[in-house]
Amino acid sequence: MNSNSKTPCIPLDKAISWEDWLRGRRARRETSKLVAPGTARRNSSSKDRRLRKLFGGERGLPFTPTEKL
Amino acid sequence: MDSQVIQKGLADISAEQDPTLKSLKLASLCSALWRERGVELVVVGGSAIEFLTDGAYASGDLDMCHTTGATLPIRDRQELMGLLGAKGGPRNWQVAGMFLDLLGPAESFARTPYRRLEGPCGPVFIMKAEDLLVERILISVYPQADQTARDCAKMLIAVALREQVAMNWSEVRRVAQLPEYRNLKECEDLVQQVADELKLKNPMHPAG
Repeated sequence: MNSNSKTPCIPLDKAISWEDWLRGRRARRETSKLVAPGTARRNSSSKDRRLRKLFGGERGLPFTPTEKL
Repeated sequence: MDSQVIQKGLADISAEQDPTLKSLKLASLCSALWRERGVELVVVGGSAIEFLTDGAYASGDLDMCHTTGATLPIRDRQELMGLLGAKGGPRNWQVAGMFLDLLGPAESFARTPYRRLEGPCGPVFIMKAEDLLVERILISVYPQADQTARDCAKMLIAVALREQVAMNWSEVRRVAQLPEYRNLKECEDLVQQVADELKLKNPMHPAG
């Protein structure tokens, strides 16, 4: 059994509530970073120019740190 | 949706500094407005994977497609996005401090439902995790090896293996065998790798 029962699952056949989705954020981030610790946004894409113009040279707003999720 | 509700939602999105929440709130508001006009939108690509993994991966734009047969006429799209104070169009807009791209009809091969999230302005449809996974693994290999896409696929596999996101692994297998993808081996190998890293059973393995 692979279950991590404390984290609300994003289900297949029904909607997840806003509250449950929020409650699962930290656990999902922690799981993601276990297998891809260095992952960041792509350095560039076809949308680069407009993104960097809007976000002061970055490609988006900074992500909320895991400990604050 | 009356203009007061729209303005309240818009103010909330504009003030939001968490990029994932900002994106999700915008998806919820736009979906509600388009739904009122008979068009259902779905979040696709990196934005969809971000909502499922919280992997801190997506850039400051939101990609959506329409799942209904037709989209809105250009004039209607522009008027509708005008209600949100959007600039640009008719397929991409700057709105509430980010970008929204409307990419056309959704490409989906999985027989599972779109994932649904009850957003603050109404339901948000998210592309099926099975389609997202097989597509991202394809992108990680073709046309060139792409480490960011591979990491992104690994994150989606990981949350699925830990049952934080429901994944129909039989559908992953079926979709990966379709002529549109033909990447079952790559999918099996990457799922096995992530399962090994997390010391979990591989649900795609015959004995998984």
